[in-house]
Amino acid sequence: MPDFGNVQIPVGPQHPALKEPESFLITLRGEKITAASVRMGYNHRGVEKGAEGRTYTQDIYLVERICGICSHSHGTAFIQAVEEIAGLDVPRRAKYIRMLVGELERVHSHLLWLGVAGHEIGFDTLLMYSWRDREVVMDLLAAVSGNRVHYSMNTVGGVRRDVDSALAETILKGVDRLEEQTKYYIQVCSEETTVIKRLSGVGVVTHEDALRLLVVGPTARASGVARDIRKDDPYLAYDELDFKIVTSDHCDVYGRTLVRLGELMESYSMIRQIVKNMPDGPITVKAPRKIPAGEALSRYEAPRGEDVHYVKANGTEKPERVKVRAPTLANLQAVSHMLRDNNLADMPIVIAAIDPCFSCTDRAVEIDRADSGPRDRMDWGRLRAHGIDFYRSRGVDFTELNRSLTRRMKKL
Amino acid sequence: MGTALIQILVFPGLLFLAVAGLAGEFIDRRLYARFQNRMGPPWFQPLADFIKLLSKEELVPDGADRGLFRLMPVFALTAVVTAFFYIPLWGTSALHAFSGDAIVVLYLLTIPTFTYFLGGYTSKSVYALLGSARTLTQLYAYEVPLFLAVLGPCLLAGTWSLSELTLFFQARPWALAANAAGFVIALIALLGKLEKVPFDIPEAETEIVGGAFTEYSGRFLAWFRLSFDIEMITGASLLAAVFLPFGLGLGFAAGFGLYLVKILFLIALIALIRSLVARLRIDQMIGFCWKVLAPVAFLQVIVNLVLKGIFFS
Amino acid sequence: MTPEEKFRDDLSGRFPELADKIVLQRARRIWVDVPAGRFREVFDFCVESLGVTILLILTGLDEAESGTFGVLYHMARPDGVVVNLRVHLPKDKPVLRSVTDRFPSAEAYERELVDLLGIVVTGLPEGPRYPLPDGWPEGQYPLRKDWKPADAAPAPEEGKSHA
Repeated sequence: MPDFGNVQIPVGPQHPALKEPESFLITLRGEKITAASVRMGYNHRGVEKGAEGRTYTQDIYLVERICGICSHSHGTAFIQAVEEIAGLDVPRRAKYIRMLVGELERVHSHLLWLGVAGHEIGFDTLLMYSWRDREVVMDLLAAVSGNRVHYSMNTVGGVRRDVDSALAETILKGVDRLEEQTKYYIQVCSEETTVIKRLSGVGVVTHEDALRLLVVGPTARASGVARDIRKDDPYLAYDELDFKIVTSDHCDVYGRTLVRLGELMESYSMIRQIVKNMPDGPITVKAPRKIPAGEALSRYEAPRGEDVHYVKANGTEKPERVKVRAPTLANLQAVSHMLRDNNLADMPIVIAAIDPCFSCTDRAVEIDRADSGPRDRMDWGRLRAHGIDFYRSRGVDFTELNRSLTRRMKKL
Repeated sequence: MGTALIQILVFPGLLFLAVAGLAGEFIDRRLYARFQNRMGPPWFQPLADFIKLLSKEELVPDGADRGLFRLMPVFALTAVVTAFFYIPLWGTSALHAFSGDAIVVLYLLTIPTFTYFLGGYTSKSVYALLGSARTLTQLYAYEVPLFLAVLGPCLLAGTWSLSELTLFFQARPWALAANAAGFVIALIALLGKLEKVPFDIPEAETEIVGGAFTEYSGRFLAWFRLSFDIEMITGASLLAAVFLPFGLGLGFAAGFGLYLVKILFLIALIALIRSLVARLRIDQMIGFCWKVLAPVAFLQVIVNLVLKGIFFS
Repeated sequence: MTPEEKFRDDLSGRFPELADKIVLQRARRIWVDVPAGRFREVFDFCVESLGVTILLILTGLDEAESGTFGVLYHMARPDGVVVNLRVHLPKDKPVLRSVTDRFPSAEAYERELVDLLGIVVTGLPEGPRYPLPDGWPEGQYPLRKDWKPADAAPAPEEGKSHA
């Protein structure tokens, strides 16, 4: 018979439970997890080093690309620090538009999480429903910013696009629809027995452990830690909005689900307040190309928790140093603690419950993009030429294929 | 001899079962998709999947028992097809029948589960190993309630032959009402046998990738998938024969139509259940089977024994 | 008195030599330059007596002009006040003591200092490196100002095929 006493199973870097590469090594006794270790860094792209070599305007777009889901969070956290160093007084209307996109992004992120959570516990119907409704908020974001992801709304000193009254109407209508659907999901999650059974008592982080391990965002709030940067260290115009911090005392994955669903409802109310109270005025102020020497630390409550950006300027048009702490990095280190003494079956949902974003977490070193190894390096042009030759030698000519497809399209 | 060969290979044998299995998979997937607000696959999707798998390279992992690894899918397929021959479909008699065939069918339906276990066990992969262990653990959970659920009607009819069982209920359709609890239990146990949500624990992809089938590819995976599809038809036919044996004297055309309706109804029920619930954990599944299903099944047996004493002795 | 001023008075009351090293940048932002020798004392005092119980992140800086590494401990109080403690380390002997005994989550942040700047952190628990890959060449510290991406990968020889 096989030794079922102690089995080590690798979860990742490639695994169906993970949407991005990360490696967990899980030791099992039967179905129980006795130990878990994390190896991070698979998505290290060198954003911090890259930011030092680019201008502030270029960096806005680079920083947004740290993460696809919370791109506005990273962009805004970065730009806030830059504006603080430059001493820019951002117009109130711009602040409101930033908040609007920020809250829509939170709605998008939480709905996406709900679907992923459903999938991880084998409840695909929830995945299909919540991702269908996620389309509504993605359409709204596209209407506001022109993009479904990577909204690119920010510029130094304000925002790039305005929100007119017709658009405001559309947003309010979309939010009404989403609120109705979210109420239904709250009902499903509080009534469906199998869902409650799979989520309760799983991945427990007690209140004391949450404080000790410094988890952030919904993960902390589900352990009764009422921390929310929007309240504690208000940025933009969050001190003008009426909202409450959603917490839960469940301390488990079920609590994290309830907190996120509750935050969805709060976000809908905040979006309505933002649209209703949107002040008139310009959406941007003129910003200098060169930012004076100085440093600033900016905090932002991203959907997954607190996002921290530190920027140091040296008087040129490029930053001296940019430091990013994505919320997942704070939470990921607590995952091995959460996994211990759980069942293997709970592993996917425990990992998913912090809403991990490994691309966010791994940022810093720039390695030549076309690098296939330390001794074998191609630049972008040579890699492209190599690719074309590779397929041509096997009888596939993409240039010719493209031409013939274009011809056929024209005929239609 | 010629007729027997046609019966085994064409109708109602392998070819019919393969077509029915693929059609069943399509209906299951389509309904599941519609319940989830999706379009779902076109009608030929299961067939296309099957053909595509056949054309793919099959890999046998290093260190695996090559013979066993390749043989298991064939075993699974043979067992589910054989079981089908002993189940009465649209008439009151099966293709082959003898006085203990109910027990044989139940045991033949256990064989595929063992082939999944052995196939996974010989794959030499941790995911497959865990999947195999779960397959076997799950078998011990749902098998007893399933056997007890089928035992109830058999006791009432006083026979171990499925054909005689259907004859008994054909004469006394009102007696079917006594087996309602058994029907629900058997349906739930069938979900476990077919490894479908909420009991798809042995192949939970987010936990152990593909479970026992992680290392299977190409032809062998195609046979395994086909055997699952046919197992669904065989299982549904068994349930239809034991718990829904009415309208069996209608002749071939009408009887066959009614049989298809029954099978469709059962597949729709399966699709509905799996779109409504989340996957259970193995410990929760065992707890549910032994603490809820098994006692209710026992109760069903006792009730049937009492009824038998009162009405049919 | 604002909370920031109270913090300044409390800290300089305990460490008089820090009195002119504390900068109140704006509401809820305090920057303190701490001499490397007394860092742990100041750090412990802030955590134990001044309620600075949240470690946000560590930032490592290559201060090329002064020939030092700067390490910033960005910390916060639950009421939103952020305290940034800064220490300078000589480049020829950049050694730092780990704070993982107090904040387990500092492990990843300290490993970043090790991998990306080449700062030696004593007292770190055993574990895999982060964030660079296992095959990363020795002595290459990407966040140092004199490091170029080409350093990590020598240019290929001309005429070699890549197939």
